[in-house]
Amino acid sequence: MFGLIGHSSSFAQAQAKARELGLEEMAEADMLAWCSAPPQLLETFQVTSRTGKTIEGTYIDSCFVPEMLSRFKTATRKVQNAMEMAQKQGINVTALGGFTSIIFENYDLSKFQQIRNTILEWERFTTGNTHTAWVICQQVERNAPLLGIDLSRAKVAVVGATGDIGSAVCRWLSQKTGVGELLLVARQQQRLLDLQTSLGGGTILSLEEALPQADVVVWVASLPQTLSIDHDSLRKPCLMIDGGYPKNLDAKVAGDGVHVLKGGIVEFWQDIGWQMMEVAEMAKPQRQMFACFAEAMLLDFEEIHTNFSWGRNNISLANMELIGDASLRHGFQAIGLNPAQLSRAAQGGVELAAA
Amino acid sequence: MATLEAPELDAAISNLPDFTTETYKDAYSRINAIVIEGEQEAHDNYIAIGTLLPDQAEELTKLARMELKHMKGFTACANNLGVVADMAFAKEFFAPLHNNFTTALAAGKVPTCLLIQALLIEAFAISAYHIYIPVADPFARKITEGVVKDEYTHLNYGQEWLKANLDSCREELEQANRDNLPLIRRMLDQVAADAAVLHMDKEDLIEDFLIAYQEALTEIGFSTREIARMAAAALVG
Repeated sequence: MFGLIGHSSSFAQAQAKARELGLEEMAEADMLAWCSAPPQLLETFQVTSRTGKTIEGTYIDSCFVPEMLSRFKTATRKVQNAMEMAQKQGINVTALGGFTSIIFENYDLSKFQQIRNTILEWERFTTGNTHTAWVICQQVERNAPLLGIDLSRAKVAVVGATGDIGSAVCRWLSQKTGVGELLLVARQQQRLLDLQTSLGGGTILSLEEALPQADVVVWVASLPQTLSIDHDSLRKPCLMIDGGYPKNLDAKVAGDGVHVLKGGIVEFWQDIGWQMMEVAEMAKPQRQMFACFAEAMLLDFEEIHTNFSWGRNNISLANMELIGDASLRHGFQAIGLNPAQLSRAAQGGVELAAA
Repeated sequence: MATLEAPELDAAISNLPDFTTETYKDAYSRINAIVIEGEQEAHDNYIAIGTLLPDQAEELTKLARMELKHMKGFTACANNLGVVADMAFAKEFFAPLHNNFTTALAAGKVPTCLLIQALLIEAFAISAYHIYIPVADPFARKITEGVVKDEYTHLNYGQEWLKANLDSCREELEQANRDNLPLIRRMLDQVAADAAVLHMDKEDLIEDFLIAYQEALTEIGFSTREIARMAAAALVG
């Protein structure tokens, strides 16, 4: 049995979802009331792999919304309580989706193992970052050539290069894909230097320096609302993989030779009888999902009941290959540029928006 | 990935209140009184429920005795800090819930009585004790740690009975939930300022209470949607 811990993408959306579920009180409740709302086990469903194997999953809404990020104690409690609920349900492996893994990592919640009378067992949880990193690399490898970008000569910028996903993507692109040049962008200089040493290469640049040079940009950092990108200075064509959370790159830069792809999203080979991916605003909510959620399914299909992705910078190429093979075998596929985007790319026309 | 500004969580957690200040003692006089009164009410309620369930009377008497023991423990906590519990405040605090219990008892409504005592009051106590333990003075901490284990036994008793009888009492429980859960919310609001002096956060109290309550409802056999709907009544009003 696998679990998914998620949340709505905004307070307004959470209220709308509550109304849809018939929870009128919650829909009417204000933000303060939501801050005290306990996690909810919203649905249980079955997923059948392309191999024929069927597993059961549970979706837990942490009742966190991004507006709570400024409330450190509230955000922390939401994540811990949702994890406790997953463990008490006896779920073998649960993915921390959306902001929940970010909160866990950045607030160092591994120091707090006891929640009331429960000792959290870390081996029951995964950030899902190994699969996310693998999917993002697939998206680069498959879609860049479709835009006429030769990866062996291309400059690939990784924004957020020193993070858990970013560093794994850098390792894969330099050692497996063999890109022309890796441009490493992140805030902390020392971590960048360490990464550069471990990779045995890569050029450390600021975001402003990297963007005009890059044929491919992998974003695995959240973009500040205030970030503005000078569209004219970007290379054309340019493939941008929006692997951050939340995904808000599209509105900022897509168009005129700049192609934005939602990063770290996979599509399953058939519809799943669940409703919860609607809250994640997927184009095809019945079969598309975050790769981190898919990792929990894959680990359950493969009966790897352990915290496969955990901590920072522990993602190995071997584990990326392992989860990648499982991903293909069980019927997942990384989403790619859609036909409309490709036809616009072929015509060199103006692209309005990626799907 | 987003980078969040992480405050010093360790410092926040080890930040104990000064138990010797007048402000602390003043707030403690009401919180402690609520706990003492709560344990007394629990004792009386279990004995009363025993009159409706004669075959369970012996078991219920055992539970009731444990509550009296708790009451003595919490009285000792007040003495230890040199605080006199404000019992008049506590009686008034419990009055609405007490009245609902008395009415249900008179009508012979066992499910409602159990929902009020074994689910709501016990879940309230469990969540409050869990949050109190890390910020309690050493004497009270030890006593409270012992008590919280017992309260789970009591919650469990109510759960088991209601689980076995769910088919015949589902509607009554839903009505009892509607009538009484908002009272718990108001009670929490009423003590929020005093609890804050003891370094107990209202948000934590409500959420932890609802978690314990929801777990009980799950155990009894309500569906996840029904539970979400029932619990929502505590968040508004």
